[in-house]
Amino acid sequence: MSLDQQTELSSDAIDELLARHETGVLTLARSDEPYAIPISYGYDPESNRFYLRLVSTPESEKRQFLTSSPQARLVIYEEEGRTYRSVIAEGTLNQVDPDEMTVEHIVQYGDAKRPLFEIWGETKRNLDIQLFELDAETLSGRKVVVDEDEE
Amino acid sequence: MTDSADYTFECPECGESMMVNASMRDALIDNGCVICGSTVSQQSFSTA
Repeated sequence: MSLDQQTELSSDAIDELLARHETGVLTLARSDEPYAIPISYGYDPESNRFYLRLVSTPESEKRQFLTSSPQARLVIYEEEGRTYRSVIAEGTLNQVDPDEMTVEHIVQYGDAKRPLFEIWGETKRNLDIQLFELDAETLSGRKVVVDEDEE
Repeated sequence: MTDSADYTFECPECGESMMVNASMRDALIDNGCVICGSTVSQQSFSTA
C-alpha cells in the first residue's frame, strides 16, 4: 500500500485556510472530562488571535468549562478532492470584558459569523453571550493527499 | 490626543450597553453589535 503524501502547511497556507473558513470545533477539558462544540470565529493573522462568540444559558454545561481562562484547542479542517487540510490552534481562552472593548475587537467580531441564536428559542436579551479570545500559542497545519490507488 | 467615550451605546436586540468613543461608534455601525452581531444604527447611540 503506497503512502499518502503528507506535508506540514506553511504559515501563509495556514492563514489562507483560516481565512477561507468561519467555523471550527473548540475543545476544552476539565480533569478527564472533555467538551467539544462547533463555533464560529474571526481570525487576525497579524496576532494569531481568534475571536469567538459563545452563547450559554444558566443550565448550559458550557459554563462549567469556561471558568478561569482554560486551555483550549481549536480545529479547522477542509476536504478538497483528494486533498485534506487541517489546522490546529492551541492556547488560552480569555474572556473579553465589554468595558475593555476596542475598535479592533468590534471589527474582528464583525467578521465572526453570528451564532445561530434561533436554536436556543430565546431572544438575545435572555441569552448569556460572552466574547472570548484565543491567542494561539501553537498553530500548526497539515495537508494530506490521498493516493488514487486507495480510493 | 485622547478619544474620549462620548456616546452611550445600547443594542436594541440584546440590550448590551457600553460607553464608546466616536471611532467605536462608527465601527459598531459598520460591523454590528459586538456582543450579538445585530445591525445597529445611529438611533442606538446617545450622547453621554
